[in-house]
Amino acid sequence: MDRKTFKTSETVDFIVVGSGSSGGIMARELARAGNSVVVMEQGPRMEAHEFEHDELKYRQLSGITNNPATNPQTFRRDATEKAERTAGRNPLTYARVVGGSSTHFNANFWRLHEIDFIEGSRYGGIEGASLVDWPITYAELEPYYTKVEWEVGVSGLAGASPFDPWRSKPYPMPPLPVKSSGVLFERGARKLGLHPFPAPMAINSVTYRDRPACAQCGLCGGFACEVMAKSSSVWTVIPEAEATGRCEVRSESYVFRIGMNKAGRTTGVYYYDSDRKEQFQNARAVVVCANGAETPKLLLNSATNGFEQGLANSSGKVGRYLMFNKGGGAQARFEHPLNEYKGANVTRIMHDFYDSDPKRGFYGGGGFDARSGGPLTWGQSVPKGTPNWGPEFKEYLESYTYWMNCSGHGTSLAQETNRVDIDPELKDDWGVPAIRVTYKDHPDDVKHAKWQVERAVEIMDAAGAVQIVPGEVGEASGGVHLLGTCRMGNDAGSSVIDKYHRTHDVKNLFLCDGSSMVTSGRGQPTQTIEALAFRAADHIAKFAKAGEI
Amino acid sequence: MEQPIPSRRQFLAAVGNLASVGWITLNWPQIAVAAEHADHAGHDAAAGPTSLTTLTAAEAAEVDAIANRIVPGGATPGARDARVIYFIDNALGSFFAGQLPAFRKGLTEFGSAYAARYGAGAPFSAAPEAQQTAWLKEADKTPFFTAVRRLTVLGLIALPKYGGNHDNLGWKLIGVEDNHYWEPPFGYYDRDYAGFEPYPGTKPYTA
Repeated sequence: MDRKTFKTSETVDFIVVGSGSSGGIMARELARAGNSVVVMEQGPRMEAHEFEHDELKYRQLSGITNNPATNPQTFRRDATEKAERTAGRNPLTYARVVGGSSTHFNANFWRLHEIDFIEGSRYGGIEGASLVDWPITYAELEPYYTKVEWEVGVSGLAGASPFDPWRSKPYPMPPLPVKSSGVLFERGARKLGLHPFPAPMAINSVTYRDRPACAQCGLCGGFACEVMAKSSSVWTVIPEAEATGRCEVRSESYVFRIGMNKAGRTTGVYYYDSDRKEQFQNARAVVVCANGAETPKLLLNSATNGFEQGLANSSGKVGRYLMFNKGGGAQARFEHPLNEYKGANVTRIMHDFYDSDPKRGFYGGGGFDARSGGPLTWGQSVPKGTPNWGPEFKEYLESYTYWMNCSGHGTSLAQETNRVDIDPELKDDWGVPAIRVTYKDHPDDVKHAKWQVERAVEIMDAAGAVQIVPGEVGEASGGVHLLGTCRMGNDAGSSVIDKYHRTHDVKNLFLCDGSSMVTSGRGQPTQTIEALAFRAADHIAKFAKAGEI
Repeated sequence: MEQPIPSRRQFLAAVGNLASVGWITLNWPQIAVAAEHADHAGHDAAAGPTSLTTLTAAEAAEVDAIANRIVPGGATPGARDARVIYFIDNALGSFFAGQLPAFRKGLTEFGSAYAARYGAGAPFSAAPEAQQTAWLKEADKTPFFTAVRRLTVLGLIALPKYGGNHDNLGWKLIGVEDNHYWEPPFGYYDRDYAGFEPYPGTKPYTA
C-alpha cells in the first residue's frame, strides 16, 4: 500500500502526537471522519519480523523503550531534594516505537468499574490526597469499552466474575487457553471462597480481523508480538488509519514544542526529524497522545508569551497528580514444572478485593493475577536465604520452570506534590529539557500493597505451593503506568482538560492518554485509555465538523 | 507437537517474508511447515562471538574462573560450558562498554587482594576449586563480584548471538526449550484442567 504523506507546509486538519494506545485510535477515528491527520512518533517504525525474542535487548538494554542514556530523566522524593539521574533505568518508562507502549504491553485489558469514577464522593477527604470524581461516569464510557473490545480485539469471558461491571456486549473472542499458573491461582483462590476468572486480554485467542491467534511464545510484557496476535496499535488501528488515505504516520519525529499564535491558538508542532533537523508541521488542531510523562513534558516545554508556566497550564496542574499502580504479590514454587515461559503471560485474574473497604483501615483496592516472567530477569535475584552463587544458586536456576507469580495490582492516590516537571539543568541528546520526577507513595498506597502481599501468600498457600516468597514493598521510584498528569475535570481551576479532552486554555489543543485519568484505577489502565480515545475522537470529530476547533 | 519444529530464526524469517496478513490467517497452522522449507542455511545469525576482543587473555581467565564458581559445571553444564566469558567480553566491548573501566579496576583490586592473601605466585584462576570458593566467600560482597555475577547470569540465559548460552546450554540448565510457539498443555497443572466452572448467580456468555 502506498502510504499518504503530507508536506510540512500543508496545513493538515490534525496532528496527533504519539502513535500508542490512544494516538492510534485517535488517528483512525479522525481520519475516518474525513480529516487529514499526521501522527508524530518519536521512535522508529518496525515491521513484525524485526521483533526478536531477545530478553536482554528489550528488558535490559532499552531496545524499544526510552533510553536513559539518550533520553535521561531525574528523580527525587520531594521538592526539598535535588533530583538526580537514576542508575540503569529511567523512572518513567515507555515504548518509543510506532505503536507506543501498546507494542510492548502485557495486554491485560480490565475495564474500570462504576466505583472508579465516583470515589471522590464515596471516600474523598483522605489526608494528603486529591481523590475526586471523574467528570464522566462508567455509563458514559461503557459503549467505548465495548468498542475497544470489538474494534481492537480482546479475548475474555463476559459475565464470569460476580464483580464485573455491567456490559452491553460479550467479548468478541473466547479467553486464551489456561496455563498452569492460572490453574493453580484458580485452585487456591476458590479454596478461599474467592472468585478468580479467565483474564480479559488484548490478545487474539482465535483469528480475528485478519490477525492470527496467539502463538503462545510466552514473551508479551516488554516484547512486541511478531505474529501480530497482540492487539497493539501498530497491528490494528494504525494500518486502518493509513488505509483511509488521509493519515500519515511520521516515525522518528520527536515533537518538542507546540506552536502558538498571538490569538492563543495552536498552529502546529515543532519536531526533530530522523536527521535531528528541526521541522514545523502546520495544522488546524493538535491532539497530544504522548503518554502521562511526555504529554506534560511537551506542554511545559511549550511555555510562551501568555503561557509562561507552560501551555494549557493556567491551573498549575500540568504534570501534577502523577500516579502509577502500586501493588504487592508473591512468588511461589510448586512440586511439578509449570513451564511459565510458555503461553501468554496472564490467564486468570480476580476482582474480589477491587473496592476499597474502610474496614481495612486504609484506602485502596485492586485485582490479582497469576503471571509469569522471563527467565533472564527472574535469574537476576534470589529469594531470601538462597545463596546467589555456587552449587545452591545453580540448583535455584534449575528450578525456574517450577515458579509462578501471584501479583496484586492496585490503586495509587493522586497527590498534588507527585509530579512531572522540567529539570532545570538536564537535557536529552536532542537538547530538549528533560523530565524531572518528584514522587512519594501515599501511606495508604504502601499499606494496601502490603495487604496485597498477605493475600497473595494466602492464595499460593491454598494452591499447595512448596515455597512462597512474599514480595517486598518498597517506596516507588518509577513506573510504566503513567497516569493523571493532565487530569480531566469540569473546573478549569483544578484540571487541565474538560470532559471532551479539550484543554481549558487552548481551544484547538486536545490531550488524551494516561494523563487524562483522574484516579489510577486498579492496575491495568490501557483499556480505559483506549476507551477514552474512542470517546474523545467522537467529540473532537464533531467539533471539527461544526467548525468548533 | 507432531510436526518438526523449525528454528526461531527460520520461523521469524518465514513470517517476515509473508506478503499478506491474509496468508497468515489462512495458513497459520502450516506456517511452521512453510518455515521448514524457507532456505536460510548459511546465514546463522544465532552464532555469537567466539574470541576475545575486549579483555586480555589473562583478564578473561580470571573472570571465567569466577563465573565458573558462580554457576559451576559438573553433572550439568556451568558457566564455562556455556561460554559465558564470550558474552562478558562482548558486553564490555559494546552495550556495557561504559562499565569497562570500573570492571577493570575491580578486577585489578580482586587480583591484588587475592595475591595479598595467597601470594603473588599464581592467579586466582590457577587455584584449586576449594581455594577459589573460600576466597570468593570473602570477596562476594564487592561491587566487582556483583557485576561478574550479573554478567554471568545474563550470559547464561541471553540469546546465543551475544556470545554466551552456547548450544542453548543456559536454557537447557533452567529447563527452557527453544521454540517460538507452544500449544497447551504448557505444564503439569493445566494438563487435566476440567474447564471454568461458573459461580452461582453468574451467567458467563460468549459472542
